[in-house]
Amino acid sequence: MSAIPLVPASYEQEWHLPSKGRVGMYGLIIAESAIFTIFVVAYVYYIGKSLYGPTPQQVLDVPIFNTICLLSSSVTIWLSERAIERGNMRGFGLWWAVTITLGTIFLVGTGMEWYKLIYHDGLTIRTNLFGTTFYSLVGLHATHVVIGLIMLGLTLIFTLTGHVRQEHSERVQVLALYWHFVDAVWVVVFTVVYIVGR
Amino acid sequence: MSDQKNPGSHTETIHLPAPTAWPLVLAFGATLLFAGLVTSPWISVLGGILMISGAVGWFRQVLPHEVHEDIPVVVEEVALTTTRRQVEKIVIPEGDRAHLPLETYPIISGIKGGLAGGVAMIPPALLYGLIAQHSIWYPVNLLGGAGVANWRNPSTADIAAFHWQGLLVASAIHWTTCVLVGLLYGAMLPMLPRRPILLGGVIAPVLWTGLLHSVMGIVNPVLDEHIAWGWFLVSQVAYGVTAGLVVARQERIRTTQSLPFAMRVGLETPGLGHEHSDEGKH
Amino acid sequence: MADQTLPIHGALDLTPPRESQHTLLDILHDWVITVDHKKLGLMYMMMAIFFLLVAGAEAICIRIQLAVPNNHFISPQTFNRLFTMHGTTMVFLVGMPLVFAWANYIVPLQIGARDMAFPRLNAFSFWLTFLGGIFLYYSFIGGPGLYGTGSAPDVTWWAYAPLTAKAFSPGHATDYWALALIVTGFGTIGGGINIMATVLSMRCKGMTLMRMPLFTWLMFVNGAFVLIVITPLTAAQVMLLIDRYLGGHFFDTQAGGSATVWMHFFWIFGHPEVYVLVFPAFAIASEVIQVFSRKAIFGYPAMVAAVVGIAFVSLGVWAHHMFTIGMTSAGNAFFVLSTSLVGIPTGIKIFNWLATMWGGKIRFATPMLFCTAFLFQFLCAGLTGIMLSVAPWDWQLHSSYFVIAHFHYVLVGAIVFNVFAGIYYWFPKATGRMMSETLGKWHFWLFFIGFHVTFDTMHFVGFEGMPRWIYTYPADRGWQHLNLVVSIGGVIQAIAVLLFAYNLIWSLFKGKIAGNDPWDAWTLEWATSSPPPIYNFATDPVVRSRRPLWDLKHPEDPDWKYD
Repeated sequence: MSAIPLVPASYEQEWHLPSKGRVGMYGLIIAESAIFTIFVVAYVYYIGKSLYGPTPQQVLDVPIFNTICLLSSSVTIWLSERAIERGNMRGFGLWWAVTITLGTIFLVGTGMEWYKLIYHDGLTIRTNLFGTTFYSLVGLHATHVVIGLIMLGLTLIFTLTGHVRQEHSERVQVLALYWHFVDAVWVVVFTVVYIVGR
Repeated sequence: MSDQKNPGSHTETIHLPAPTAWPLVLAFGATLLFAGLVTSPWISVLGGILMISGAVGWFRQVLPHEVHEDIPVVVEEVALTTTRRQVEKIVIPEGDRAHLPLETYPIISGIKGGLAGGVAMIPPALLYGLIAQHSIWYPVNLLGGAGVANWRNPSTADIAAFHWQGLLVASAIHWTTCVLVGLLYGAMLPMLPRRPILLGGVIAPVLWTGLLHSVMGIVNPVLDEHIAWGWFLVSQVAYGVTAGLVVARQERIRTTQSLPFAMRVGLETPGLGHEHSDEGKH
Repeated sequence: MADQTLPIHGALDLTPPRESQHTLLDILHDWVITVDHKKLGLMYMMMAIFFLLVAGAEAICIRIQLAVPNNHFISPQTFNRLFTMHGTTMVFLVGMPLVFAWANYIVPLQIGARDMAFPRLNAFSFWLTFLGGIFLYYSFIGGPGLYGTGSAPDVTWWAYAPLTAKAFSPGHATDYWALALIVTGFGTIGGGINIMATVLSMRCKGMTLMRMPLFTWLMFVNGAFVLIVITPLTAAQVMLLIDRYLGGHFFDTQAGGSATVWMHFFWIFGHPEVYVLVFPAFAIASEVIQVFSRKAIFGYPAMVAAVVGIAFVSLGVWAHHMFTIGMTSAGNAFFVLSTSLVGIPTGIKIFNWLATMWGGKIRFATPMLFCTAFLFQFLCAGLTGIMLSVAPWDWQLHSSYFVIAHFHYVLVGAIVFNVFAGIYYWFPKATGRMMSETLGKWHFWLFFIGFHVTFDTMHFVGFEGMPRWIYTYPADRGWQHLNLVVSIGGVIQAIAVLLFAYNLIWSLFKGKIAGNDPWDAWTLEWATSSPPPIYNFATDPVVRSRRPLWDLKHPEDPDWKYD
């Protein structure tokens, strides 16, 4: 075995490691994706397997306005990320508040949809398989929206009291990553529930 | 460690995250929250309260500033030595490799041999069909019977008739197998010790005919009843001898396994492998 | 000022506040509120050993019941609870904590870090896992179950539908199972995120990914892997709870739901879980074998590639647990092939360990003994695994004791053996004292003999057609002699484990002082004192090769020259 002694690369070179906050959040997102995958698979598998009504065709309306609100909140939160990176705290607070408003509109929209389904169409989680899978999947997503909104709201409160400063932009971006994930999952849920399953 | 190299880089105390009980409170709260589902709702309420206080407490540990504890450092001189001073590099001797043939047949020779053998198998098989059942389709259907849909225990007359699916499947099986075995021959013949034609052409077909004969009764008894093993052996030997002869008549080429690595990857380094250069051109 | 005395006569306590903590309560308080990765690692380890003893005792009860035909040592109801709890405990309260015990204690030391990436999350994850375990065991006294009051889960550890439906499992026993495992599952997710972030973001200078010790590599893959392995189970258990509490229909065949879907979801978790459990065993073998063969690991890049390969392939093999439910032949063929495919990267690993030992100067200290036995037993377990991966073979032996023998060969023969190897190997680092070699050898040989008496024989019990889960059997089946042998082997193993527990306690107080580097090893954890100070390294280490300590011990011939 011949081995050639190499001149070792200078080990005083700069040493970069990925931010642990980001890595941690990506880990959480991977784990959450797996949970959502199972629920989505269950939903897809059970499409059309309900033995009795109401069926999705009869009761589901496509929540276009809701979807636009939630998806555009990804853009507004990106604008606020950019603002805090440049130290523009007013811009940050403004876009952050817009994001929360859009998220809240989505949540209220889902609440109204559920109200209509439960009280007008008589669809509850125990009515049939469609009810079980629909409320589980959309409910799981809504839970994530609620958690996200609580975190965003806390950040907004601390922004208004002046505790959030430019040096927190890293943490804010990690939180925004979660919000982007919640939005991305909605694309999948929307496709499966309102387009494929209807 | 490298302490000795940069002794100046440590401070007298080290910041470490301060111990805290809030994660425990939060975990306990979460457990109680779930435990309430199997005991009493009040347990869940208690769990919820603990969770909120745990979360708040944890939050205050991290924000706005992470709570730290200053640990005084005791620098110990850690001497890293070993009593095992003798180091040996494991030298891999030249001869300590799998023995590979220096020369072998090109891949195309195996394919040629297989095809030729495949042609040679057909006359004995058809001859058998004509003599035994007065139909050249009989052996074809025996091989390709799997392709004829809905055959359940066919009669001899069935097998002797022409079925185009049977012909197709039989041809596919026949030529694939012939080419694959031919390739095997091309790879194996240079490695067989002596008389490759005898070994590969006669002994090997006899061996696998014997093997097939012994297991076919278990694997597929119906098929077994229809096979005339003597004729089967004749066609196998015809294949083996023809394929072996065709393969053996091809020109041999040098294998690259025994060449040095630098030559195999095509490095044109001066001083490497001059003595092999003319053989390596094939 | 200096020569003046204080107005109060008497001595002033000059001891710093830290050192005055020595009452039991103080020490306990110290451990309970700790966020230090080493203490949490040890707590995970103690938890795992505790539950190992508990679940081992359950196994012994099962074996006593099965030792002779027509036995009534325990009631059928208790028998069901015991094997359910034995499986659940061993997987979730022994195997999983062991993963995090090793990762917590060793990984930060090996990569030259001061702590895990998220120390508080680390404590949180531990407490969730631990309290989840307590919660599960509380079911013995608190869970009104199938047969009245005070019962533990009895639906087997995979809890197939429809047995778990409200109608067939009234009371809360099944809910205890699902809820407790959701709690420990959250702990697992936290732990996995933490390992991943630690390895990616906390490495010391010069520790590039391809210079990390293989142990750290395996733990890193495992940390990322558990995130997609444990979560399907959590999701499926949430569905189960929706069925049981809210009247959902996920697994309710009366309303169009499917029991098969539960099987798919469970095994999508269940099979990769085996690899989650076995990766620490691989990790330990990769360290111990090279140190005790006095050779660097053979084929490092291939080893890394193999473990990533195993992780990926294992995500596509789950339905080989379900050959008997009647899948399509295309489905059967796919899972036969994908399962057999696992044999390739696993084979690479075994050959590389053997190649590491080949030509080495092997020292058969206790850790190496366990690792050597592991190699042999893991090979056998892999071969019976390949046998069972072939669908027709599986149809014959599914749900027989052959399957039990196969997976215990993996879980005990590979994992437990290497866990023992790892404890013997790192005990000096964690406590500063060596474990007794004499007791260690006794432990090894007794456990080795007991293991083979039990599980080799069990294969033949399976061949003779004895099904799993049966409470007892009549005398005319011809199973009684082999079963008695199996039970005797179980008792031998129990004695060996008790010997090990005694060795742990004895060595903790009376063991030989170890010094920093008793095995003459090469990874960073041996560069600090034993036990390591709370900050691990007084100065941040810098590494230049895969074996930083080799470089320091052999300055004339360091590894980095050959990088």
